[in-house]
Amino acid sequence: MSKQPESHYNLNSLHFIFAIASLILLFSLGSLFLKDYSRQWKDYQKQFKAYEVEKARTKYDEASHKLESSEEYQFLLKEIKAAQKDFDGKCTNFKNFENEIKTLTTANTLSEQKLKFTNATLDAARFRYEEAKAHDPKHSEKSRQEYEKLLSEATNLKAQVEQSAEAINEKNKTIESCGQQLKDLQRKLKTFTKQTSILERKLGKIDDTKKSLSSQMASLVRDLPVIDLANPSVKIEQIVLADITDDVNFKQVPKVDRCISCHLGISNPDYKNAAQPYRTHPNLELYLGKDSAHPIEEFGCTVCHGGRGRGTGFLSAVHTPSSEEQKKEWTKKYNWQEFHHWEEPMLAKQYVEAGCFKCHAGQETIKGAKKLNFGLALIERAGCYNCHTIDKYKDWPKSGPDLTKLSSKTSAEWIYRWIEDPKSFRHNTWMPAFFDQSNNNDPASHQRGEQEIHAITQFLLANTTEYKKDPIPLVGDVKKGEELVSSIGCFACHQVQPQKTDQARNAENLHREHGPNLIGLGSKTSKEWIYSWLKDPNRYHPQTRMPNLRLSDQEAADIAQYLSEDKAEKFDKKPIAPVNEKIIDDIALDFLKKIDPMQVAVKKLASMNLDQKLVFAGEKLVGHYGCYACHNIKGFESAKPIGAELTEEGSKSASKLDFGFIHIDHSKEAWFMQKLKNPRIFDQGKIKEANDKLIMPNFNFTEEEAEAITTAIVGFTKNKTVVNKIKPRTPENLYIEKGEKIIRQLNCQGCHIISGEGGAIAPSVKEWLKKYDNRDEAKATIMASNFSPPNLEGEGKKVQTQWLFEFLHEPVTIRPWLKVRMPTYSFNASHLNALIKYFNALDKEDFPFMDKANVSLTEEEYKAGQKLFSPDGLDCMKCHVVGNIVPKGDAEVLAPNLALAKNRLKPDWIIKWITNPQDVLPGTKMPTFFDPNDFDNAGPKDILGGDEHEQIRVLRNFLMSLADRPIVVVPEGEKTKEVAPAQPPAPATDKTPAVTSDAK
Amino acid sequence: MESLKAIINAACAPEIMFTAILLVFFFLFPPNDWFYKASKKLGLNKLWTKNGGIGIFVVMILFFAFGLSDDNFRLIVIKPDNVPIVGLLFLVVFFLWLSLKQAWENDKRIEEGKPPAEADDAKEKVLVWPDLVYIELIALVVISALLLVWAIGLGAPLEEPANPTVSPNPSKAPWYFLGLQEMLVYFDPWIAGVVFPTVIILGFMAIPFLDNNPKGCGYYSVKDRKMAVSIFLFFWLVLWIFLISTGTFLRGPNWNFFGPFEYWDPHKLVALTNLNLSELIYMIILKRPLPENIFLREAGGFIVMGIYFGLIPLILAKTFLKDVYQRLGPVRYSIFIVFLLLAISLPIKMYLRWGFNIKYIIAIPEFFFNI
Repeated sequence: MSKQPESHYNLNSLHFIFAIASLILLFSLGSLFLKDYSRQWKDYQKQFKAYEVEKARTKYDEASHKLESSEEYQFLLKEIKAAQKDFDGKCTNFKNFENEIKTLTTANTLSEQKLKFTNATLDAARFRYEEAKAHDPKHSEKSRQEYEKLLSEATNLKAQVEQSAEAINEKNKTIESCGQQLKDLQRKLKTFTKQTSILERKLGKIDDTKKSLSSQMASLVRDLPVIDLANPSVKIEQIVLADITDDVNFKQVPKVDRCISCHLGISNPDYKNAAQPYRTHPNLELYLGKDSAHPIEEFGCTVCHGGRGRGTGFLSAVHTPSSEEQKKEWTKKYNWQEFHHWEEPMLAKQYVEAGCFKCHAGQETIKGAKKLNFGLALIERAGCYNCHTIDKYKDWPKSGPDLTKLSSKTSAEWIYRWIEDPKSFRHNTWMPAFFDQSNNNDPASHQRGEQEIHAITQFLLANTTEYKKDPIPLVGDVKKGEELVSSIGCFACHQVQPQKTDQARNAENLHREHGPNLIGLGSKTSKEWIYSWLKDPNRYHPQTRMPNLRLSDQEAADIAQYLSEDKAEKFDKKPIAPVNEKIIDDIALDFLKKIDPMQVAVKKLASMNLDQKLVFAGEKLVGHYGCYACHNIKGFESAKPIGAELTEEGSKSASKLDFGFIHIDHSKEAWFMQKLKNPRIFDQGKIKEANDKLIMPNFNFTEEEAEAITTAIVGFTKNKTVVNKIKPRTPENLYIEKGEKIIRQLNCQGCHIISGEGGAIAPSVKEWLKKYDNRDEAKATIMASNFSPPNLEGEGKKVQTQWLFEFLHEPVTIRPWLKVRMPTYSFNASHLNALIKYFNALDKEDFPFMDKANVSLTEEEYKAGQKLFSPDGLDCMKCHVVGNIVPKGDAEVLAPNLALAKNRLKPDWIIKWITNPQDVLPGTKMPTFFDPNDFDNAGPKDILGGDEHEQIRVLRNFLMSLADRPIVVVPEGEKTKEVAPAQPPAPATDKTPAVTSDAK
Repeated sequence: MESLKAIINAACAPEIMFTAILLVFFFLFPPNDWFYKASKKLGLNKLWTKNGGIGIFVVMILFFAFGLSDDNFRLIVIKPDNVPIVGLLFLVVFFLWLSLKQAWENDKRIEEGKPPAEADDAKEKVLVWPDLVYIELIALVVISALLLVWAIGLGAPLEEPANPTVSPNPSKAPWYFLGLQEMLVYFDPWIAGVVFPTVIILGFMAIPFLDNNPKGCGYYSVKDRKMAVSIFLFFWLVLWIFLISTGTFLRGPNWNFFGPFEYWDPHKLVALTNLNLSELIYMIILKRPLPENIFLREAGGFIVMGIYFGLIPLILAKTFLKDVYQRLGPVRYSIFIVFLLLAISLPIKMYLRWGFNIKYIIAIPEFFFNI
């Protein structure tokens, strides 16, 4: 054999290299497993398991301690002991019995089996016999014999089995009766220890020290590397939502939220104070809980919070820090950094309510979303939607007053000073400031700004139509005017607030900023204008939301006198820069240049005189700044709003926003905040022509306001609402949404409480009571509610549809003691229908027709009703107005006119109301005559045989008859009987202030 | 330090770096005797020795070490997508060095009358086990370990779901196509995206037929194959590797050029005003409007193209490439010269763009025909 040829490489060094390489591979494989095993969520789950064991242990200890220390339990134990002893003593001889039973049972089982076999053979024999009979009757004899033999055998066996079973039963009964007491006691013990045994069983499952050896082994094996692919104890927990999808552009994929892999205690109320990630979600009644509106199994997490549901790491779930400090902390703790590749990062804590909007966009107030509600209310008040199209506010009216008849209202000087700085006239006006902002307050821009204001003023005044002011026929009284303003309801929408207050705005007090703060009107306009406006607001501004309060000439004159008395002296002294034609030329030329080539533009400019230049520049500037978006201005009727559409602004990526040279966090939230606080700031450091500068005006939002608005804007996403997760789109729910919108637009909640919100006027009613009715603080507080406009909770159930329609159309007096009056709105049919449908839908009432109740009375019943009604009965007229009879008592207890009941109230409602008023309207002043706790003895015994139901029905029918039948009234303190007018006191003949005279 | 970075940033501008590379290239990889001698004289061939190789790697590693101290540099280089390209740079340089070292050593041996080093290899026989299989096994283990460590260390560079309405900025082709994408800056898409890739493939197919030089078979050599080596390395290093690394490291948002230490500012504005040759001729030189007739309008371009592909090969055949012409004969020479001119058109076009803002030499957008 030839010699082994030598290898080219040194084999030993190859071995060495191979060994090293293998070790490296082994090491890298090891690190692979190590990395997989050290994933954060695995650690969290292990930690959580320890917490669970700890919690279960404490609970078990507590429960067993409680059990041990309960006397009843100890007594029971003693009893059982005694019973056991008793059992042992008495029933020992049953030991033999038990043995007998065992033998018997064995024998019985054997015969049962035998019976079974015999039955089976019998069935087969029967079949053979039947076959033989049918096909070969001559030779069927043999099979007949066989069948009959088996039949008798089976019958015997059956009897035998039954017999032995009976014997066993007998013996058992004897034993049972002996140990009955013990058994009962033991059953009792079981119910006693139910709680602890559940906990014990739970502990046995999770607590390693209490686990059996086999289950310990099992849990060890299932967590071994590679084998753990099957069913590890630590695994990703996820919620799969088939009907909520993530948009991955080419496809909608079901949402998979793995957040609960780490947030393990999120829906467990035991972890309220635990550290993150285990802490319980706040408000489990509204979120996550099984009975809440948003159960976790149906909604998951990211649909509201944003973030990457499939992410299983702190970073890949795309958490967003809520502050710089948190950002630093997270960077240190979790190596946090911005996650660029997910378009919907989690909402930072302060903007979390933005997530509510996508599903609740149709609602005006969203329960539990205070900040979002505030943000939306601010958007409405500030009128953001005028310049920035927002789908939700598509058909909302313009925010600012009509400027088409401006010349009749105010002067050029006032307009100039106002535009220059609106807040110098009215500290809390919603008119924003366009001039002297951070990008146009340098001297040159300031000068240009002054001339721009001149141009706008000139244009606005030149562009108006005639408006004839009514002459004031009477002399107004300032004092009376002041009282009227504070009493008839002006303060539901307006204030008279000469100085800034410390009180921050919130969704509630914004109702009172619905209309302007009524200060300095003497500087702004004339007495005559105010008078004409009050008498008929629609004549000046057809779309105004200011209603007609049906003021008499005298009242209107008083108020006009009062309001025009107040002059803003400091404002009136503000200097007005002289018109500078050179700058006006520049401004006009800038706009002309855009239309024509430079030479033509210059020529055109030269052909204009100063006035023409001013008006030309003014018109262009109105277009440039978008004044027409909030105000009606002639010539701009069809102009498009100038701002960026905000309907899907929340989905805009930050890279599409110009941060300029401002060093803030590059997130859209930070940008919105900055923009709202200083709309012009992103011009800082940029070189721009005057007309290229940012023009969004400054509303001087505070930090909280900006945050609330940002929350709302972030909520305006392109994400589609998941249809089967929102309130079903039934006609009723749509009616509610539509009605809410009108209520919001007309500020009904300035006066009334509707679905739990509103009644903003109440504090001013109290002030009025103190100031003009000479009540002390305590009394005024009590009385305020009775002197405020009524609470409209349950209005749909309460009043008849037809009546509501008439009332909204033309209000009548129901509560004559009220100073506040329901104004007349220029509702059209669509408004009226929407409101009526709204109230009915809200109370789930049938619409438009209701059940027809029988309200007739026999003469006898009428008498009984009369008695119930009288001071001898429930004494209704102690508080209630009836027709034109007003009770003599204190006004604070007065109650609505019962003569209106027939046409106004729903018969069913009256029954419910009399039965238990607190049930219908908690906190009402109406006394509960029929004590619900002792209903059967509540009514007077001598009327209608003491039948309470009958009494209520008859009283209801009596009330319904009040409009048609004469009533006998015994006013309090008088013994003489007085007869009320016999004719039906229909609304028109009621003591209603002349409704028809001045309403249009 | 900052000024050094600024200098490097400025030097990396494509026109400067490309010019610098062109100036050095032919001395490093001489295409003819003159450059070969110059290269030797300058001692550039010393680079292809053990010490030279160490020197090259030390410089490269120092550069990267220095660069990694800079935030902007680190951001781009450490990005999981770009790590393989860094590896590629080192690998390319290593294998370039290795082959040229062997080539220059062989040249020396041949000068001394000895056979090339590969001649010895051919005589020796090696065993399948352990010399082949064992080595392969070790390689397998090492590569597996490398891939594992890499996967553990750097996560997969996953991004957001693809969105047809939102393109990332910069939008980059896969790394191996970045050379073609870089060409898009200078050529019409159908040339850079269709014609050139086809020509590259055809060019590769043509090599065995064009290269009839019998020398240098089976061994590395520079001296025997000066032109072949030089041309190949020009295509490979300058028109492929250089363009890929430029595309990877130096092209930022909006495909703007950024120096290695420069922040990738998406708002950076660079004036880009280009004009076609026809506009240059008629509007700037002749000061008259463009003619209506397309052919008249583009006549200048056609003439230039005619000269480039018609006249220049003839002139070259009589002058610089006389010996090549003689060696290849007219048919092969024509094919060779067309490929060569096509390849050279890329740097020419680059310079036309940088120097004269020329967009297209022939621009007939009416027929989507732009050169």
